[in-house]
Amino acid sequence: MTVSPQDVDLATVDLSDRDWWTTPPAYRHAAFDRLRREQPLAFFAEPDIPGLPAGPGYHAVTRYADLEAISSQPAVFCSGRGAVSMQDVPAELHEFFGSLISMDDPRHAKIRRIVSKTFTPRMLERTLDSVRAIVDDVLARARAKAEAGDGTIDVVADVAAPIPLRVICDMMGVPEEDRPGVLANSNIVLSGGDPELIENDDPLTAFLTAGMEMAALMERLAAERLSDPRDDLTTALVRSEVDGERLTHQEIASFFILLLVAGNETTRNAISQGLLALSEHPDQWARWAADPGLDRTGVEEVVRWVSPVTWMRRTATRDGEIDGHRFTAGEKFLLFYAAANRDPEVFADPQRFDVSRDPNPHVGFGSKGPHFCLGAHLARRELQVTFRAIFDQLPDLEVTGPPDRLASSFVNGLKRLPARLTGDR
Amino acid sequence: MRVTVDRERCVGSGQCELLAPEVFEVDDDGAVRVLQEQPDDDGAVRDAVQQCPTGALSAEE
Ligand code: SF4
Repeated sequence: MTVSPQDVDLATVDLSDRDWWTTPPAYRHAAFDRLRREQPLAFFAEPDIPGLPAGPGYHAVTRYADLEAISSQPAVFCSGRGAVSMQDVPAELHEFFGSLISMDDPRHAKIRRIVSKTFTPRMLERTLDSVRAIVDDVLARARAKAEAGDGTIDVVADVAAPIPLRVICDMMGVPEEDRPGVLANSNIVLSGGDPELIENDDPLTAFLTAGMEMAALMERLAAERLSDPRDDLTTALVRSEVDGERLTHQEIASFFILLLVAGNETTRNAISQGLLALSEHPDQWARWAADPGLDRTGVEEVVRWVSPVTWMRRTATRDGEIDGHRFTAGEKFLLFYAAANRDPEVFADPQRFDVSRDPNPHVGFGSKGPHFCLGAHLARRELQVTFRAIFDQLPDLEVTGPPDRLASSFVNGLKRLPARLTGDR
Repeated sequence: MRVTVDRERCVGSGQCELLAPEVFEVDDDGAVRVLQEQPDDDGAVRDAVQQCPTGALSAEE
């Protein structure tokens, strides 16, 4: 479907409205096009969430250049007042859920160091063999399920969700029996309040309970690993120190929530929506499937196209000016990665899905600055392995219906994507 | 070409190591170490310097 920006009535665009985010992506991108051109720092009121005071509103940053300028000045545009919520939430809460994402220096630098030394490209290369084994197993189970039934699968539940969850749980050493609970809780934390995923209509309580359960699990594991070290990331985290300082068990628990939420759900959505994009662009599917040389650029294009995290927030720490707009301390800016990733100033023909796009300086993992995604290599390698394995092992996969979209402004997610394994190869 | 790193700014994201593993390595302190101070001037090293998210790397002719 193509939608021209002229078809969009800007007066009806409300980025704070959860329902707006279930409109078709083509429409949303057309709206971003107009915002970028006509109101690159458009102002929106904050959504009403029961239990949270409504704040002053925010600017939606839609131009690549503005987004980069803001990200690369972390002292002027801080994360410590909350990066993942439009509203201000109590400091303990956003640190607990956001971990590093909602911290500023010097604390951010210190914790990021501890984490990055256990998360180096070298370490991750070592986990790649286990990633391959996990992907093969998940795809074999999807095939078995289709064959045992009517040939259909759900791409989300049967392919996209189990892969990153198992990778992260393996890395952290989460026991098998605790994993279903981890998946359920991570769904709640990232549900964006989607009523289907939250049973009563009190999202705040549901978030808190889910977070507490994950934290309790992780604190238990951290304590176990201290006395009984193993070859996993949890052991590395409880043991490593920077300047004589170690992570507390609570910090490890928060970091685990960050990994699950940031690493699990985003990779899942990149897989499911990457497959959706490929099925909507069969020429690109055929090209990529035939050429492993495209694995690198193909994955970058999927991340640009999908932008699994739609935005993060920054808050001005002082008065200043950006792109002709004078701002004062306390003003909020939402960095719309999804919009910047289709900025025609940076990407030639940005609404075209092209698995060979190169260069592709997308901001799907964040822009310049200290908050650049620390799981970027893991995600990249995981996605490369996954798409290649799908091309090889499920060449007959055919998306059969429209996806069910998550009603969230923050995570560009799918709840379901029906597909069929046709048996033709 | 001469490459230097500002270890205070480096957040250990490892982007440089991914692009030019012979030249950069995130070490056990969680910050990057330059393995070759005067690498051959190939595109990968330049990309690494340019793409470092925190601007911790610099290169001189
Ligand atoms: S890319 Fe920059 S921040 Fe990342 S490890 Fe290299 S020097 Fe450090």
